[in-house]
Amino acid sequence: MISLSIDQIHKTYGDKKAVNGLSFGVEQGEIYGLLGANGAGKTTTMRMVLGLIYPDEGSIRYNGQPYNKEQLHNIGYLPEERGLYPKVKVNEQLIYLAQLKGMAKNAAEQSLRRWLEQFEVPEYYDKRVEELSKGNQQKIQFIAAVIHDPQILILDEAFSGLDPVNVELLKAAVKGLRDAGKTILFSTHRMEHVEELCRNITIMHRSNPVVQGDIKTIKSRYPRERVMLAASREITGLEQLEGVRYVAKHENVTEIGIASEQTAKLILNHAIGQADIERFELMQPTLNEIFIKSVGDRHE
Amino acid sequence: MNKFWTVVGFTFRNKVKAKSYVITTIIMAIIFSVLINLPYIISQFSSDAPDRIGYAGAPADLSRSDVSPSYIGSGLGAYFKKQEKPDYEFVPIADADSADATAKALNQALENGDIDAYIVFADAGSPGLFPKMEIRAKKKYSDEAVAELQAALQSVKLDHELQNLGLSDVQKQALFSQAEVSSVQINVSNGTATQEEVKEKTGAQYSMVYAIMFLLLMTIMSTGMLIATEITAEKSSRVMEVLVTSVSPLTQMFGKIFGMFIVGLMQIALYVIVFAINLSMPNNDSALKDIGINMADIPVSLYIYALLFYLIGYFLFATLYAGVGSLVSRTEELGQAVMPLTFLSIGGFYIGIFGLNAPGSTFVTVASFIPFFTPYIMFLRIGMVEPPFWQIAISLAALLVTTLASGWLSAKIYRTGVLMYGKRPSLKELRKAMKAYKL
Repeated sequence: MISLSIDQIHKTYGDKKAVNGLSFGVEQGEIYGLLGANGAGKTTTMRMVLGLIYPDEGSIRYNGQPYNKEQLHNIGYLPEERGLYPKVKVNEQLIYLAQLKGMAKNAAEQSLRRWLEQFEVPEYYDKRVEELSKGNQQKIQFIAAVIHDPQILILDEAFSGLDPVNVELLKAAVKGLRDAGKTILFSTHRMEHVEELCRNITIMHRSNPVVQGDIKTIKSRYPRERVMLAASREITGLEQLEGVRYVAKHENVTEIGIASEQTAKLILNHAIGQADIERFELMQPTLNEIFIKSVGDRHE
Repeated sequence: MNKFWTVVGFTFRNKVKAKSYVITTIIMAIIFSVLINLPYIISQFSSDAPDRIGYAGAPADLSRSDVSPSYIGSGLGAYFKKQEKPDYEFVPIADADSADATAKALNQALENGDIDAYIVFADAGSPGLFPKMEIRAKKKYSDEAVAELQAALQSVKLDHELQNLGLSDVQKQALFSQAEVSSVQINVSNGTATQEEVKEKTGAQYSMVYAIMFLLLMTIMSTGMLIATEITAEKSSRVMEVLVTSVSPLTQMFGKIFGMFIVGLMQIALYVIVFAINLSMPNNDSALKDIGINMADIPVSLYIYALLFYLIGYFLFATLYAGVGSLVSRTEELGQAVMPLTFLSIGGFYIGIFGLNAPGSTFVTVASFIPFFTPYIMFLRIGMVEPPFWQIAISLAALLVTTLASGWLSAKIYRTGVLMYGKRPSLKELRKAMKAYKL
């Protein structure tokens, strides 16, 4: 069921177009990836979903309903930059924020303790935010977004500034929320997170959606242009084959750039003639490459 | 409404618990207590007993025979005795046969500590004049003390010389009564003058006007800056971005303003209590009597006006401070940005101080209709000259409209300001942003 649907929204600041005809839908239990370079219009889109600003055209529907004040309690928001009172204790400010979302004090307190437990930092309950490290502040910020158990969750660069251990911890939490049926809109620069978490994505570039759809389909649309080859001994003469763009020798594997998938067959035949093949793989493009292609190509 | 009180509670708790607030309040309370008790404390250090000043009895070799040291000395003694708390006491020192022996006796008395000083007399420059006096002591008397003694001597001299002239008491009074000048304000029309009705205001009303104006200034100065700082801090820490998704900016802003108002009121109430406790201490008994204010002298309507102008005045400035606070992105820039508001509120107060002495002047009348000054000046006029009711109504209406407009505008700026970071936006940029965000 589509829980959050965005239909042809436009937004202009003065004479600068910030979002131009963006549409997508997010189902319950799905994490939707919103990608784009800095200034592509991601944050503006998120702010429109949050109701901070209103689209000039188009509509945003929450469970089929237009924006209204009640929806606010149903949305959790993790801003890109930390937004907490540095000098106020964790429990005081999170319970305050939860209360503003219409939660009772006791329930908020329980929820907070549960989340702190999950992030393995129960001792932060009555610490001041400024006493915590950056990564731990991000955990608290995350709890601020989810403490009131919102149906729709908006995470702007949720994993920025975290060490790998904490990234895993937060990633697990996000997955847990997805499995619990929450609707999650997720923006990031880190493609590996997107590949791991998201089913569908939109890549935005200069306020336009340039690539949209589920990741598998997107990938299949892009030609496979890399071959990974490992053999019992070194293969020579690869560069002379027709259609080979480059040959890069890594420690245990050789990476070969190809013009078309036809070239891959040539390479395989060539290699079999010289040695035993240990690995031969025609690589799918990574999301990173697709991103750079779809965004970078248009950089003039 | 629930959220409003949540915001109020959060603002209040955080401010009151802050170390800076607690410490400032305590320090201010201590300073107040010390200031109130200062006169008493000083009097404790200086000995209460009057200086004992000795004088010789024997006629010195003065050219005038009608005055002798003992005559002047006892005259001075009588002069100071009439005072409630005399600074000096004059004691005759036993005479010796010769001038040398007299001088010796005086010096001896000073050395023994029987007296703190003694006086000697000599002829003044030309014959027939009252003799001049010299006070000799181990310390040098201050100019102030010398002036006091001179005044005493003058009085003794005057009495003596008048007596010599043989004037009656009535004549004396006629000579020394003050000439009077007074001013009357009149309206002139068709060649006839009607006297402007100037009602005498009691000291109590004067004090009340002064107190309310001062209270308003203090509340605005202390909490206005707090409100602005708080909002700017929320903005720079980006908490605002989270907050505006949870609660409407109007609720948020007024919750904050109201919370701070309670904080400010509590602080002032505390100072008033400290003040009252100190005044009621036995050592400050006379201070209360000196003020001699009877609160019952003040009409009830003035209390109501005081409350009205105080509250609306506070909220006008509070919303303005909130608006400025949300314009600025960093607390460092705040001091400069609130300057105009500070001038406005201090300006109003000083016009008020001026107006206490000239409440009927055109300048004050005009100022009372300028909404930023109305809380001070219209209240002052009500307390001092009783302006016609329509004037009160107009100024009050203007003040209310301005306050509402300022609240509305500030809430908008607040809402827009959340989404704008970086340098302080110009008015044009702000208007553009408001349009763009459809606020």
